[in-house]
Amino acid sequence: MTNVLTRHIEQRDQARLAVALRGGAYEGLRRALKLSPAELIAEVTASGLRGRGGAGFPTGRKWSFIHPQPGQPVYLLCNADESEPGTFKDHYLLKHDPHLVLEGIAIAAHAIGAAKAYLYMRGEYASIARDVQAALQEASAAGILGDHCLGTDFSLQIEIQLGAGAYICGEETGLIQSLEGKRAYPRVRPPFPAVHGFVDQPTVVNNVETLANLSYILVEGAQAFAALGTDRSTGTKLICISGAVARPGVYEVEMGYPLLEALRREAAGVRLGRRLKAIIPGGTSVPVLTAEEAAPVMIDYESMQAAGTMLGSGGMIVFDETADMPKALLRIAEFYAHESCGECTPCREGTGWMAWVLRRLVAGEGRPGDLELLLRVGGNIEGRTICGLGDASVQPVRSFLQKFRPEFEALLPPARDAGPEWQRHGHGPRTARHGAPGDEALRSEPVDGPPDAAL
Amino acid sequence: MPMVTIDGRQIEVEPGTSIIQAADRLGVEIPRFCYHPDLRPEGNCRMCLVEVDGFARLAVACATPVADGMVVRSPHTSPQASQAVNGVLEFLLVNHPLDCPICDQAGECSLQDFYMHPDYGLHKSHVDPAEKVHKRKRIDLGPRIVLDAERCVMCSRCVRFSADVSGKAELQFIQRGNHVELMAFEDRALEDPYAGNLADVCPVGALTSRDFRFKRRVWHLEHTNSVCAGCSTGCNVRIDHFQNHIERVVPRRNPSVNSSWICDEGRLSWQAAQGGERLTQPASGGGYPPEIRWSEAVKAAHELLTDRGERPLAVLGSASATNETLLLLRRYAEQAHSEHWLDFRLAEEVQLVGEREDQLLRRRDKHPNTLGAVYLGLAGARGGLPAMLEAAQTGEIGALLLVYYPPLVGEESAGVAEGIARLLANVPRSVVLTTHRLPYLQGAALQLPVAAWSEEEGTYTNFAGTVQVVERAIIPPGMSRPATAVLADLVEHQVYRRPDADAERLFAELARTVPAYQGMDYAMLDSRTATTYPPEGRMHYGQEGFAGR
Ligand SMILES: Cc1cc2nc3c(=O)[nH]c(=O)nc-3n(C[C@H](O)[C@H](O)[C@H](O)COP(=O)(O)O)c2cc1C
Ligand code: SF4
Ligand code: SF4
Ligand code: SF4
Ligand code: FES
Repeated sequence: MTNVLTRHIEQRDQARLAVALRGGAYEGLRRALKLSPAELIAEVTASGLRGRGGAGFPTGRKWSFIHPQPGQPVYLLCNADESEPGTFKDHYLLKHDPHLVLEGIAIAAHAIGAAKAYLYMRGEYASIARDVQAALQEASAAGILGDHCLGTDFSLQIEIQLGAGAYICGEETGLIQSLEGKRAYPRVRPPFPAVHGFVDQPTVVNNVETLANLSYILVEGAQAFAALGTDRSTGTKLICISGAVARPGVYEVEMGYPLLEALRREAAGVRLGRRLKAIIPGGTSVPVLTAEEAAPVMIDYESMQAAGTMLGSGGMIVFDETADMPKALLRIAEFYAHESCGECTPCREGTGWMAWVLRRLVAGEGRPGDLELLLRVGGNIEGRTICGLGDASVQPVRSFLQKFRPEFEALLPPARDAGPEWQRHGHGPRTARHGAPGDEALRSEPVDGPPDAAL
Repeated sequence: MPMVTIDGRQIEVEPGTSIIQAADRLGVEIPRFCYHPDLRPEGNCRMCLVEVDGFARLAVACATPVADGMVVRSPHTSPQASQAVNGVLEFLLVNHPLDCPICDQAGECSLQDFYMHPDYGLHKSHVDPAEKVHKRKRIDLGPRIVLDAERCVMCSRCVRFSADVSGKAELQFIQRGNHVELMAFEDRALEDPYAGNLADVCPVGALTSRDFRFKRRVWHLEHTNSVCAGCSTGCNVRIDHFQNHIERVVPRRNPSVNSSWICDEGRLSWQAAQGGERLTQPASGGGYPPEIRWSEAVKAAHELLTDRGERPLAVLGSASATNETLLLLRRYAEQAHSEHWLDFRLAEEVQLVGEREDQLLRRRDKHPNTLGAVYLGLAGARGGLPAMLEAAQTGEIGALLLVYYPPLVGEESAGVAEGIARLLANVPRSVVLTTHRLPYLQGAALQLPVAAWSEEEGTYTNFAGTVQVVERAIIPPGMSRPATAVLADLVEHQVYRRPDADAERLFAELARTVPAYQGMDYAMLDSRTATTYPPEGRMHYGQEGFAGR
């Protein structure tokens, strides 16, 4: 298998500049600096590289949106907030091959004309931040980064910034706010960061893994990179396999590699010889796949999409036959309720509400109609929030409920249970829109379909 | 200019206009919490979701600029948007305490308006009240504001006001998810001299005015449009009163004068007008004559002012009087039987009139009508109070007619108070038209009680030359009458013909005779036509809705 990202990862002391240089570090930057920004963007566009932060947006295209006014500064922000549950690949890269990431940052900065870049790392990565800082200092002292990188006109100051531990700081506008010293409340788009980003200037936010691919693309050529993987998903992907597997860890696979094959070969299969029940293929923000659904799926953007899910961050969470799916979903829902930044109404209130309902279901205190309520609440979040966290919180709820419904139904009380006292009597006034007037207030189950149902 | 269609109706608007602004202009109602016309949009409440042709998702009307040819559907015509707005509102109620019966905002609360509205609300509750997230209540944020974090809908209007408008940045959210809570740093008292506006921008009962809390249910209030008389800025306000008593003053939006704001001093200036010891009947020599009728008082005044031999009459007006009062005062002076000396300056009003006290609204000249007095030619060559005092001390003045209103913001300066007292002491034949019983006026031969701010109608000309109407909200106390009426009586004694004392007709005369007012029409004056937000007669989105009467 071709290694793009992990070629030197097992090299002892790869974080030290001398060792990294022996392996060819910064060769990509040297070549990039010989190209004009436009040529560089064209090269990366030709490679077909897509963002590894979750959405898979073409990297060359993202860069091409940067059109600063004369004299306007441009910023590159490297997103190392890595908080998507089940994801730990950026940590792996930064820890074992920081120069690969720093080189990628420099290449991207040159492409977009940034003289300043920030590496935004989640607060929990403080220990590796020290090592990355040391690597940065070594590279700067050697004249590779900093003023006049590799003896050229291009200068780049890279600064490492630590977050304080919030999932939302990984969302690009939340990250920008946090970097500005503000509460990480995402911004309404438009305007997009490419126009009004960090300190209101044109800004690109790229994931660590995205940037780590650049060295290879420059050294081996866009064609070589594009030859890897599939037509539209080029290159390789770091996958983080966790959960019920024998050998959890980070593995690099070529795009288009069969999902279950990766499980079997890389992670040594499901633990204790149990049967696979389900797999979340791209971090908890993407829909879960049942074992049957996962069988034909390949690790690439298109195949995942065809299966109704997403490659996301590549955080793969494996459930074996003993997994309690409602409990697992509750854990996930609690994560989103806890991490919702609370800025916009649907996500702030909806994530908490879904977690409540799941909590009482799992505690054996479910109420009739709770599953419908969950889906309705999810439907009222989706597509109506400021940032992607709201949508992300709904994906697991909907897919778990759809694919493992009997497990949830088993938690519901027998149909005759009238539900809690306060709900038995009509609450507040009601109009015809919300159901028929009359005796409905005395019926036992919640009768008012969603307010939307009548529309 | 972009042409946008909303619910089938078209409007052309300036580039950069948001959908919600275009809809407001068309009169299409789009529900909202976080949008405020004078705050930077943040798009966080998601209540203004609309359907836009060609957009994959619903868009927030407050933060989406219109584009040419855009076709928008509000919740009134789009089932999708309607469902979304319903959902958002339901979310807002999940953790809301719904303590409307004991909430001071009830009756002018956006949340209440919407959840009682068949188009947006009337949900059946799915939440056990015992499950709600509870937050802190009755938090003391200083002398102006009380915070109830539980009622907050996290719209951030207050945060944006504090950060961007007054610049104090004293409020911020803490926590995450449905535990987000508004807080002032360490619960410290707000130091913002504009803090009162926070209660106005808050669309719900989270931030309430300490001064107004629990005094009166808002649906009992009557509203009168006016202009603050606290300084030369002339902020547009609405006086809310009940049974001839002012309960509060709130800003009225006027983008060219005060946006949606007023300072706290101006907000509470009605207390100075209504408080203190009011002069409620004519008084002479500091004492009240038992039973004196107005006709007798005016006759006495006339005699005091005319029996002065050949010595000139001094007339000292006030930059706190309406233009109409000053017009009649000038007429009275001009028709005096001998030489007169007319002015209005007590100190440095004219020099200070445009000078800012801070970056937002307040000005150092604490009079509402300095420029009006100047336009009327009352700033003569001989000077105001100091010059008159000098002349009086050498016996050059035969009689004095003084119109005096104590400042509504701050105290009268010691110099001016002393100057007035000495002037009165040196001119034995003096008549003072005033609102309050003040120690430095006790030397007057005769004091006549006149209406204070909020008790009379008229116009003020602010520091920028904008003429604005103040309407009468309440009836002046005791025997006091509008100064225009008293002056009309005095003129009538002089010339045996009663001039018009009606504000509208007096202004017509001003428009004819004062060059600065050429062509102006009372009915068209700024404060009557100023943009109201939201448009008249519609629901109020918090107190910035100055729906008027
Ligand atoms: C709630 C949320 C959390 C996110 N967290 C991360 C993260 O931890 N790391 C990351 O690279 N991207 C994260 N993203 C995606 C970023 O917003 C952004 O799209 C990405 O950094 C772009 O980089 P790319 O183009 O290289 O993929 C997150 C998005 C959302 C909505
Ligand atoms: S969707 Fe959630 S996380 Fe994103 S801005 Fe809204 S409340 Fe914050
Ligand atoms: S206190 Fe009022 S204005 Fe401030 S965020 Fe809460 S609801 Fe909005
Ligand atoms: S700034 Fe001046 S006019 Fe405005 S409210 Fe304050 S005192 Fe009144
Ligand atoms: S999101 Fe538009 S008014 Fe709040």
